[in-house]
Amino acid sequence: MISLNGVGKTYGEGVAAVHALRDVDLEIPDGELTVILGPSGSGKTTLLNLVGAIDDLSSGSLRVGDVDLAALSADARVDYRRTQVGFVFQFFNLIPTLTAAENVELVAELTRGNGAQRARTALEQVGLAERLDHFPSQLSGGEQQRVAIARALAKEPPILLCDEPTGELDFETGRLILGLLRRLGRENGQTVLLVTHNAAIGEMADRVVRLRSGEIVEDRHIESPVDAETLTW
Amino acid sequence: MVKPLTRKLFRDIGRHRAQFIAVMVTVFLGVTIFAATYDSYQNLVASYETTFSEYHFANLTVAGGDIEAIAAAAAETPGVEAAHSRTIADVPLRADETKLLGRAVGLPVTGQPAVNQLKVLDGTYLDAARPGGVLVEEHMADHFGLVPGSTVEVLCGTDWRVLEIVGVVSSPEYIWPARSRQEILTTPDNFGVVFTGESLARELAGVESPNEVVLYYENGEPDEALSVELGVTARNLGATQVYTRDEQPSNAALSEDIKGFEEMALLFPVLFIVAAAMASYVMISRFVYAQRPHIGGMLANGFTRGQVLRHYLGYGWIPGLIGAVPGAVLGVFLAGVITRLYTGMLSVPVTLIEFHPTTLAAGVFIGVLATLLAALAPALVASRIRPAEAMRGETPAGRGRVSIAERLLPPLRRLPIRWRMAFRGIERNPRRTLYTMFGVVLSLVLVLVSWGMIDTVEHLLDLQFVQISQEDAVVYFAAPVGIEEVAALEAVPGVAAAEPALEAPVTVTAGDRTYDTVLVALEAGTEMHNFRSVDGSWIELPDEGLLLGKALGSELGIEAGDVVGVTVAPLGITVEGTVAGFVDEPLGTFAYTSRQYAAAQLGGSLRVTSALVRYSEGADAAVVRQAITELPDVAAFEDADALYDVMNRYMMLFYGFVGIMLVFGAAMAFALIFNAMTVNIAERSREVATLLAVGTKRSTVSRLITAENLIVAVAGIPFGLVAGYYLSAFFWGSFESDMFAFDLYVRPATFAFAGLAIVVVALISGWPGLRALRRLHIPTVVKERSS
Repeated sequence: MISLNGVGKTYGEGVAAVHALRDVDLEIPDGELTVILGPSGSGKTTLLNLVGAIDDLSSGSLRVGDVDLAALSADARVDYRRTQVGFVFQFFNLIPTLTAAENVELVAELTRGNGAQRARTALEQVGLAERLDHFPSQLSGGEQQRVAIARALAKEPPILLCDEPTGELDFETGRLILGLLRRLGRENGQTVLLVTHNAAIGEMADRVVRLRSGEIVEDRHIESPVDAETLTW
Repeated sequence: MVKPLTRKLFRDIGRHRAQFIAVMVTVFLGVTIFAATYDSYQNLVASYETTFSEYHFANLTVAGGDIEAIAAAAAETPGVEAAHSRTIADVPLRADETKLLGRAVGLPVTGQPAVNQLKVLDGTYLDAARPGGVLVEEHMADHFGLVPGSTVEVLCGTDWRVLEIVGVVSSPEYIWPARSRQEILTTPDNFGVVFTGESLARELAGVESPNEVVLYYENGEPDEALSVELGVTARNLGATQVYTRDEQPSNAALSEDIKGFEEMALLFPVLFIVAAAMASYVMISRFVYAQRPHIGGMLANGFTRGQVLRHYLGYGWIPGLIGAVPGAVLGVFLAGVITRLYTGMLSVPVTLIEFHPTTLAAGVFIGVLATLLAALAPALVASRIRPAEAMRGETPAGRGRVSIAERLLPPLRRLPIRWRMAFRGIERNPRRTLYTMFGVVLSLVLVLVSWGMIDTVEHLLDLQFVQISQEDAVVYFAAPVGIEEVAALEAVPGVAAAEPALEAPVTVTAGDRTYDTVLVALEAGTEMHNFRSVDGSWIELPDEGLLLGKALGSELGIEAGDVVGVTVAPLGITVEGTVAGFVDEPLGTFAYTSRQYAAAQLGGSLRVTSALVRYSEGADAAVVRQAITELPDVAAFEDADALYDVMNRYMMLFYGFVGIMLVFGAAMAFALIFNAMTVNIAERSREVATLLAVGTKRSTVSRLITAENLIVAVAGIPFGLVAGYYLSAFFWGSFESDMFAFDLYVRPATFAFAGLAIVVVALISGWPGLRALRRLHIPTVVKERSS
């Protein structure tokens, strides 16, 4: 369970202060796919970053299971990121000098067991078993994003954080990626937080949280999520 | 009003000030060294030239033969402004109870001579009313504290005659107090010069007429053809020694020094300027890469490609100008200080410090041009960017591939991924990697050229004073003596052994080529001098034939087995000798032979002019010196350690110079590696942020980047050491002459220390970049479209 109580995040000080999040209360149960919607500057990415412990909250409390993120030391935050969350970024953020397999293995090595094997399994899960030794420059955008998803999955984290995962992809590839996230999340029992400004994507989620100017303006459960393949925008 | 584009330029410079400061400092150092050394060189040349023309320094000196006839013939030769005949007497002197080898130079008492005039520093010139008055050359005066009114003794026949000093002078002939071309290094305890009336000089020399003529050409201008013509005439009239101004011992030694300034004025600034240009190129390339969307926006909004080009050229020439202007000003100022220190230390009669606007302008021009050229390639790239593509923020994808190291050494593929990343990161931007390596090479060249000088000179001193010369002291007799006087030396307490030697000025002739040197005749099985052949092996002095300094091989075009003529100036006879071989000695180019061979060739029994002495173990050198100099036949005593000590004192200057160069070299390496590493980190900030976001520790990322930079630095070290060695050899080889043999020697430890220093500098210069890594805001960076 991810619990946010009165979470606030402010960048800068004085007149230059920007309130990215204001007094946000939210509870996300395990295994749920939640789409966080909102226009630019609404605070959705900030929310994701706080859950991923790559940014600090300014006020309130944020707990993931029994862990109070605000109370973690720097080393404990690194450990949390290693074991609890997997990131999928808009711009893939693959390392260009490593092959697809190596990009995944690099992250898998951080946790435990046979990194190479887990990397291979993760890439098979995303349908890239044939492209293991290709460098990012030799892959399409969709393939690169699938590598990024495999990288996030390889650690077998309970939480998957996806920031505009289709932002750089064409419509068809975008739907493919969303379907993949939906399927893998379900198969692995992972909690998926997916940030997007594309409202149509909300239809495939278990729940949609809409943000505006750092505040939650809508929080609704989707009774019958549609298949990603049927989405249109 | 400042244009927005100019404001952007200055703000960019302000934002990345550390990198720009690194470039500015490197330009500053390069231009400072250029202006300081080049202006010093110009000042020193001007000081010497003014001294030479003001004091009518001889263009040609002729000794031996019919001097009056030579002088008369010269005086009538067109182009000769003045011919002055005089007498030179090499006689023992005694000053402050110290016996030393002296030289008395005859002068007209009625006024300054027409050639080789003196600068009276204290007291007055010679006066006909004071026939016993002498002038003392200032090196000797300074050492013994002699002033007008003091006295100095000179050995006249068998009597010491007391002479009153009327003045202290400096002479263009003895700015560097060399006794001869073969004896460039002297100590004031062993050699001093006095100027006496001509009649007294003749009395001391035991001659009736002058034995030397000095010639001054019109306006003092060198004229090689005239020198050749006069030389032929002089030799036809029996001259035994003819040398030009360039060959004059003092001037020849000083010319080597001046040449050093000239070479330094080129080599060292080039290193710095190239380094600055490289640091600038790396930095500006990065700006262009990172600012592609801005450039696209500028072009889309109507800026011309020319405006974009000029804008990015500004990132080069502006820091270049900021570094070059103070560098040039400081360099020109320092040139004045260096010139004054130098001429003061050597007592050059005239110090000329001139303002050379051309040096100032050239310094600024070089600094600006280098950085402008560095900016040209990235600025051209910026101006040719396609706006639509650039504004999409898509930077050309970095091409990934397995590193060369992994392909050459497949086991490397089993390394953890993060270490494979380090290897591949090196090849990601091959041009930058090469530039960084080249920076390491430049730094090592600077270090090795400077440090190599210390090693070379220390090796040279060790070779000359420890491995070749085996005597503890040389004892000079007032007049040639027999072998029994040498035996008497062995009776002195503290003397373990003494060997006879004959030293005589000679002219070696082969065909139409001649070379003036000193013939040294030693015992065939001498234990006082070791002989090193040109291949570095040690050989014995042969019973038969001559062992010549290696420079004579090329000077005279001779080889072992050839027969050469040897004219012994004091005896006025010429004999033939067979070249037995050549020796490689760091100082001077002597002709060695065995006493037996010399006696056989010269005829009669060979006299002794000096003795080589070795002390008993534990003997007190000062006591031995005192006892020997009290012997009546002894004219002077030269302690081998004294010369060694003099050289070591000069080494202190080297240490200072090398220390400065090491600091500069470190600064240069720092600037280059710092810029390369900062760019490396900046370029990969998104990658680094991603690694951190997925749970990699900052310390791991730091180690990864440090390893990558260290690999590049370490890869550059072997190239730097090789390039540094060969460039040092080239640099120091240019000083090689018949007076000095500068064979480069670099200790293995120097290579190790230089390499280690680069590693340390690489580690230190990476530190600011790693600190920036700690400040990296992960959420911001992972969201950036392009890094």
